[in-house]
Amino acid sequence: MDTLLLARLQFATTASVHFLFVAVTLGLVTLLVGMQTAWVVTGNQRWERSTRFWGQLYVINYVLGIATGIVMEFQFGLNWSGLSRYVGNVFGAPLAIETLVAFFLESTFLGMWIFGWHRLRRGVHLALLYGVAITAYASAFWIMVANSWLQNPVGYEVRDGVAHLTDFSALLTNPALWTALGHVVSAALLTGGLLMAAISAWHLSRRTPDFALFRSSLRIGVVTAAVAISLVQGFGFAQFGPVGGAQPTKFGGTSPQAEALIADWTARFGPGDYLPPTLSSVGLGFMILIGFTLGLLWLFVPLLWRDWIIRLRFPLWLLILALPLPFVALILGWIAREVGRQPWVAYGLLPVDQAVSPISPWLMGTSLVGFTLLLGALAVTNWVLLARHAARGAADPALGRPPAQPPADDPRPEPAFA
Amino acid sequence: MELAWYALLGLFFAGYLVLGGYDYGVGLLLARGVDASRRRAALNAVGPFFLGNEVWLVAAVGILFGAFPVLEGELLAGSYPAVLAALVGVILVTAGVQLRSRPEGERARGAWDRVIVIGSLLAALGWGVMLAGLLQGVPLRADGHVAGVTHLFTPFAAATGLAVLALTVAHGATFLTLRMPVAESDQLRPLARRLLVTAAVAVSAAAVVGLSADRVRATAQRPAVGVLLAVLLVAALLAARVALGRRRPGVAFVATATALALPVLLVGATLWPYVLVSTLEPNASLTVTDAAASGPTLRLLGWLAVPLLPALLGFQAMCWWIFRGRTDGRAPVYW
Ligand code: HEM
Repeated sequence: MDTLLLARLQFATTASVHFLFVAVTLGLVTLLVGMQTAWVVTGNQRWERSTRFWGQLYVINYVLGIATGIVMEFQFGLNWSGLSRYVGNVFGAPLAIETLVAFFLESTFLGMWIFGWHRLRRGVHLALLYGVAITAYASAFWIMVANSWLQNPVGYEVRDGVAHLTDFSALLTNPALWTALGHVVSAALLTGGLLMAAISAWHLSRRTPDFALFRSSLRIGVVTAAVAISLVQGFGFAQFGPVGGAQPTKFGGTSPQAEALIADWTARFGPGDYLPPTLSSVGLGFMILIGFTLGLLWLFVPLLWRDWIIRLRFPLWLLILALPLPFVALILGWIAREVGRQPWVAYGLLPVDQAVSPISPWLMGTSLVGFTLLLGALAVTNWVLLARHAARGAADPALGRPPAQPPADDPRPEPAFA
Repeated sequence: MELAWYALLGLFFAGYLVLGGYDYGVGLLLARGVDASRRRAALNAVGPFFLGNEVWLVAAVGILFGAFPVLEGELLAGSYPAVLAALVGVILVTAGVQLRSRPEGERARGAWDRVIVIGSLLAALGWGVMLAGLLQGVPLRADGHVAGVTHLFTPFAAATGLAVLALTVAHGATFLTLRMPVAESDQLRPLARRLLVTAAVAVSAAAVVGLSADRVRATAQRPAVGVLLAVLLVAALLAARVALGRRRPGVAFVATATALALPVLLVGATLWPYVLVSTLEPNASLTVTDAAASGPTLRLLGWLAVPLLPALLGFQAMCWWIFRGRTDGRAPVYW
C-alpha cells in the first residue's frame, strides 16, 4: 500500500460519509423553513410541532455533517499538502470564503435557534432559521466553486510552478459549476423530501394517532421529491455538455479532443495512463438508472387526491422502500465526478501523486483506519438515533420543549435548574 | 497585507482556544464524578454557545488555507500526530455534546459523557503539542517539506500539552462559576481556584522546560518577548484566582480568557518574522510573507473580509448577549 492510495481512500470515505449527511441537512432545512414560516404566519400549533419534530431530526443529522466537515477541511492540509502548495492561491480562496461566509455563520445561527425556543420573539427565531438555510446554500455554492475549479481550473496563471489567481470571476462562471450545483442541490432536495415522505409513510402505515401532522408532512415530502427528481434529471443531462467539454477524458470513449489532450499531457508530464478508471462510468450508469427509477415518484402525486396514497397503503410501503435509493445515487454521483477526474487533483494541472503529503504509509494508514472506524461508528450511531427519534413520533420532541414542562425523557427533574 | 491576515489568523485561533477552551474545560470537568443531572446542567450552561464556539477553529483553518496555503500544508502535515489527536478530540466532543441527551437511558448518557471527557483531553493536548511544535522549530528541508514526525516528541511538547490541558480545565471551571446558578457556582469556586493554581504551575513548568531546551532557544527570534508573555500568562491566572476569591466571576473569566489567548500571541511574537523555523537549514525557514498567498488572492479575500468581519463578530456578540447571565429554571435544556 502506498501513501497516495491510502490518502485517496481516506478522502473518498470521509467525503462519502460527509455527503450522506449534508444532503439531508440541505434538503430538510429548506422544508423546515417552510414549516416554521407556516407556523409563524398561521399560528397553527400543528406547524409548531412539525417544526419541532423535523427540526429535531435535522439537528441530529447536522452533528455528523459538521463532524465530517471539519475532518474534510483538515484533510487538505494533512494529506494533500501539495495541493495547498501548488494551487492553494486559487483553490484556497473559495474554501476560505466558504468557512467564513457559510460554515461559521450557519453554526452560530443554529446554536441560537436550538436554544432560542420560548426565549426569542417568534420573528427573530424564524429569521435565525432563514439564516441557517441561506448559509447552508451558500456553503454548497462555495464548495461547488472550489470543486469545479479542481474539475476545470480557470482564472489562474502558473509562475515558478505555482498557480496564482488572475481572474476570480472565471471561477464563478466555470462551465463545470452551475449545472453541477443545480444537480446536487436538487439531489439534496430529493433526498430531504423522500426522507420526510418515507418517515411520514411509516407512521401513517401504522395508523398513527398524529394523522393530520404526518399527512401534511407526507404531502410536502412527496411533492418536493417529485419536483426535485425532475430537476435532478434536467440538470443531470444538462451536465454532459459543459462537463464533457471541459473534461474530454471523463465520460469514456475516445474523441479527437481527448486524444489531443492526452498527447499534450504526455508531452508535458511524461507518458502515463490519463484515462479515468472504469469505476467512474459504472457509477454514472447506476446513478442514472436510479434517477430514472425515482422518476416514478410522479405517479404518487395524483394519489394525494382524497388521500388514496394512504388508503391504498402499498404506496406508503413503496416510499419507505425507495428511501435508500437517493443515498446510493449520491455516492455514485460523486464517484462519477471525482474518480472521473483521475489521475488529476486539478484537471490537467496537478497530478494526484504530486499533491499527496510526504507522509509515511504507516502513518497515513493509521489515520485512514482510525478515521474510517471513528466516522463509521459515529455515522451508524447517528442513524440509529435518527431512526429512534423518527419512530418516537411528534408527541414531545426535546427540541423546543417549554422549559417549565418536566422533560419526559428524563427520569428525574433537574435540580440545578430548579 | 500579510501582517493583517496573520493577525486575523491569530485572532481566530486565539478566539477558538478561548471559546472552545471552556467547552473542553467543562467537558473535562464531567469526569469529576458528580451526578447525572449536574453533568447535564454543566453542558447546558455551555448550551447556546457550543456550536458557535467550535467554528472559530473552522474559520481559522479557512483563513490558514486561503491566506497561508503553504503554511497550511506544512504545518498540518508536519504536525501530523498532534493535529490528528486534536481533530479526533474535536470530533468526539462535537458528537458527544450534541448527542449525549438523545438516548434516554442513564447508562448511554454516561457513556457519551466519557466520550466527551476523552475528546476534550485529546483536543487540549493536541493543540498544546502543535503550538509547542512551532516554538521548538520543525525539520523543514530545503525542498520545503517537513521531514518526519518524530520531531514532535520532546519534553517541551509534552510539558506544553499538559499546560494547555491545565489551562482549559481552569478556564472551564471559571466559566461555570460565571454561568451556573449561584448555589452551584459557590460550590465550584474552591475547585476553580485550585485549578487556577495548578494551571499557573503547569505553565511555569512548561516555560522552564522550554528555556532549558536548545531547540527552543535556537528557534525563538525574540526570546525576551516570549518570556514576558509567559509571565503575563501566569499573572492572568493568578489574577483570576484573586477575582474568584472576591466573588467577581466576570473579571476572573476575562482573566482566564486572556490566559487562553496569550499562547497564540506568544508563539506569533516570539517567532516573528518567521512562522516555521527550520531546525535543519536556516534558509528553509518560512517567514510570514513567504507563507502567505500571493497578492491577488489576499486582495480578494481582503475586500471580502471588510464587510464580513463585523457581521461574523456581530452575530457572535448577539448570541452572547441574548444568552447572557446565569442559567436558571427558564433556560432551555437540550444538550
Ligand atoms: C437521470 C438521472 C441522472 C443523470 C442524467 C445524472 C447525470 C450526472 C452527471 C453527468 C454527473 C457527472 C458530472 C461530472 O462528472 O462532473 C452527475 C454527478 C452527480 N450526480 Fe447525477 N444524474 C442523475 C441522477 C442523480 C440522482 C438521482 C442523484 C442523487 C440523488 C445524483 C447525484 C449526483 C451527484 C451528487 C453528483 C456529483 C456532483 C455533481 O456533478 O453534481 N444524480 N450526475
